[in-house]
Amino acid sequence: MAQALNPPAGELDWKGEGVTIADVVDALTDFRHRFARAQSPDEDHPHPRNSVMTLVAVAATDAEEKRAESVCTQIAAHHPSLAIVVREEADVGAGRIDASIAAPQVAASGAEPPAHYELVKLHVGGAGAAHLAALVDPLLVSGVPTCIWWLGTPPFGSKELRDALQIADAMVVDSARFARPYHSFLGMAGVGAHAHRHLGLADLQWARLDPWRASIAQFFAPVARRPFLSGISEIGIDYAGVGRGNRIPSSVLIGWIAGALGWKLQRASGGGGGVVSAQFQAEGWRVVDVAFRSVEKSGLVEGEISTVRIVGSSGGRTFKLSIARAPARPRRPAPEQFQTLHPTGGEDEAGMELAQRKAAQHREMAFEMRDSLHHTATGDAPGESMPAAPTLFVRERRSSDNSMVLLTLIDIGDAGTLRHVQRIDSTDDASLLVELLAMGERDGVYTRSLAAGAELMRAL
Amino acid sequence: MSVEAVAPNPLAEGLHDYSVAEPALMVIFGATGDLSGRKLLPALYNLSKQRLLPAGFAVVGAAIDDLTDDAFRKRASDKISTFSRTQPIDPQVLQSFLDMLFYVKVDFGKPEDFKALSRRLDELDHSRLVGGNRVFYCATPPPTYETITEQLKASGLNAGEGYHRIVVEKPFGSDLKSARELNRIVQRVFHEDSVYRIDHYLGKETVQNIMAFRFANTIFEPVWNCHFIDSVQITAAEEIGVENRGAYYDKAGALRDIVQNHAFQLLALTAMEPPIAIEANAVRDEKVKVLRAIRPLTDDEVAKATVRGQYTSGWVLGEHVHGYREEPNVAQGSLTETFVAVRVFVDNWRWAGVPFYIRAGKRMPKRATEIRVLFKRPPHLTFGRKAAQELDPNAIILRIQPEEGISLRFGAKVPAASIRLRSVAMDFLYVSSFLVEAPEAYERLLLDCMIGDPTLFTRADEVETAWTLVDPIEAAWRDGRPPLQMYPSGTWGPQAAAKLLEVEGREWHRP
Repeated sequence: MAQALNPPAGELDWKGEGVTIADVVDALTDFRHRFARAQSPDEDHPHPRNSVMTLVAVAATDAEEKRAESVCTQIAAHHPSLAIVVREEADVGAGRIDASIAAPQVAASGAEPPAHYELVKLHVGGAGAAHLAALVDPLLVSGVPTCIWWLGTPPFGSKELRDALQIADAMVVDSARFARPYHSFLGMAGVGAHAHRHLGLADLQWARLDPWRASIAQFFAPVARRPFLSGISEIGIDYAGVGRGNRIPSSVLIGWIAGALGWKLQRASGGGGGVVSAQFQAEGWRVVDVAFRSVEKSGLVEGEISTVRIVGSSGGRTFKLSIARAPARPRRPAPEQFQTLHPTGGEDEAGMELAQRKAAQHREMAFEMRDSLHHTATGDAPGESMPAAPTLFVRERRSSDNSMVLLTLIDIGDAGTLRHVQRIDSTDDASLLVELLAMGERDGVYTRSLAAGAELMRAL
Repeated sequence: MSVEAVAPNPLAEGLHDYSVAEPALMVIFGATGDLSGRKLLPALYNLSKQRLLPAGFAVVGAAIDDLTDDAFRKRASDKISTFSRTQPIDPQVLQSFLDMLFYVKVDFGKPEDFKALSRRLDELDHSRLVGGNRVFYCATPPPTYETITEQLKASGLNAGEGYHRIVVEKPFGSDLKSARELNRIVQRVFHEDSVYRIDHYLGKETVQNIMAFRFANTIFEPVWNCHFIDSVQITAAEEIGVENRGAYYDKAGALRDIVQNHAFQLLALTAMEPPIAIEANAVRDEKVKVLRAIRPLTDDEVAKATVRGQYTSGWVLGEHVHGYREEPNVAQGSLTETFVAVRVFVDNWRWAGVPFYIRAGKRMPKRATEIRVLFKRPPHLTFGRKAAQELDPNAIILRIQPEEGISLRFGAKVPAASIRLRSVAMDFLYVSSFLVEAPEAYERLLLDCMIGDPTLFTRADEVETAWTLVDPIEAAWRDGRPPLQMYPSGTWGPQAAAKLLEVEGREWHRP
């Protein structure tokens, strides 16, 4: 098979200032023609450009734009694609469009042929940027999926977003980067109601939960352990950071379990120390207690889960599954107030005991003094949407020293503890995006988990 | 407990199937050997890296060498570092994987060694909460299979709680008689559903995609028959020689080594009827039907429809290489074929009269495995003979390796005032069309065995049917019909292979 050799980078690039989208379409057509000729000048038939998708990245800041460009180029190293980076520029005159077209060289590995890759950048001023569909639709490649990747916070609930989603097969966000995480998360849960039925909705945060989900599902995989599913009595989750917006991953994970097992949320309350207590009704009116607590761990960014523990009994045997992130990291002493309630140390510090005790203290109050507890837990005044001191969400969330290890501890009956160590794959944006895009279709499990997680968040 | 009686794991929905395989103990017989070191242990390491080995999973090496667990782990570490497809080695993953390795010295002839193995498995079963699941992998020469299976039975290792599966490697016998005997031996101890015969070609993503290509699309199947297809060419070419397999290869030859298994499997997947579902027995039933429909060659036909060759010295990939008879462990004056070309017909409604040409060889110009489906020319040359003189017949090329993918070749008008037609290609390239990496064949097959899906493993009747086709060819060749022909390394085989098609107005297409 003939392999195309890309012309030198930069040679065919195009730039236009104060242009229209029609100008960009013309330039793109001309660019493709010149590119094909440069690739194979001696042949009657230049190779057509290949593309497996169009990735539309919406950026609001310089940092986001750079990140979008970098991630799109990493993906293009393996997957021929058209990337359109749309940058809102509030300080540029309304309606002004500056555009560029390039075919950056991408580093294909091994024997792979160089992939076709086009990068279109649109800097759009004023209100024009909000009308994404009008900007992007004429540029899309026919017949390949279009994915909109919103690097910041999409304008959930707006007509402009609904219009934009009409041209997309999928929208990807990262709820860990939402500026107003709580409300944005709930907004995202409502997207499905207004989008076309084929729209795939994905969250990089959901992809980060994949190792946790796989480890939990794996525990129940053996046929002999399947009855344990109906014997779960308690689930505890430790997460990093305080504030209700940091509970999104924990809530979605619980939403995933609850949705899969058919549990119904009965009640939920939030207490001090980021503690959340909830009760679900499982089959046969059985009650499952769920508790979250905020535990500071170095190396984890806000919202990340550090430990999940599932406890229960079935057929006369007790079981306990504990999955912990970064267990090898040197431990920091627990805050004093925690030490009085719960001895620290050991790998299996899942927070269940602490969470349960604190939850027990708060449980009755929770439903009587809801507003006050809300304030205690979140720092918000009752009914206030934005945390008083948003600790986290607008800054870079991935830190380089994140430990990439999950330790699973399994105790069943009187057998000894079984340890299992697993390496977590890279969680950089490009890997996560590829993982989500590879799903291709709407992820029904995520949609269900999102809805259940949002229900829990709303109940707090 | 019956698997069928238990509801599926609801938490597994949306996850990769392999993420939720049941934990098991995998016993590798011949754990210190070449296959284990080059393929199995690196494959298992890579599965561990992908988090696909469940908590509790463990490998128990079993071989004649007197090793401790630690010594086996050290050896495994060295092999993984050398042969893993993913580099560099991740030290955390490697350490975690090595912690799953154990070793028991087993002399296959000693029942007491199997008792010791049994005790060790029981201990591990208890401490690792495995539930009795066992996979016995025979990474040993076929003559050991009988002893191993009998010893497993005698020590009760083939029964009990959990599943008990055995994996055996090709060659599955050397002729029909030995294959039947081998099947009888294994089936005396394990039910056929628990016997996993590995033909690693079937683990390749592109081989599995043949079924997806044919049965998930509506546009190809209507023309996939003798009314539209002129012929099918299956090529399995290697640029390498016999390397360190001289002793084995000199007894086997290309016909037994490639055609009896890989090539016939590719033919079966190309020619089979749609199975009612992509389920192990449904797929294998259809493949067996095709193999049964292949017309066995009579003694006379073997001389006309087969070509056998042996490479001599020559130039491959820019390097001068020795001839076959100069290779280590090859008998002087050996008559073993390193190249085979054969024409067969599938005698059924769909394929009546369509020749399937198979060629397989070593020291070819390059490594290439492909299936080329060539279509008949249009019934009328609307544009005239001259305009279409550069036009090849339509073709669909299923490239198995390398550059895995599919090409469709068809005619198009050359842009010019006059009418001139030329063949152009529409290409689908696996590596750039999907956003995920295809797993390595051994990784896929090991996982399939653990989750109990034998679809990509060969069933006993497939093996035996393939031998019924090969045995008459071998018999005629032993009588010198047709004679062995020499070909220089770096060529596409002897001239007779080209003539096999030329006399029928066709030609081999260069992969």
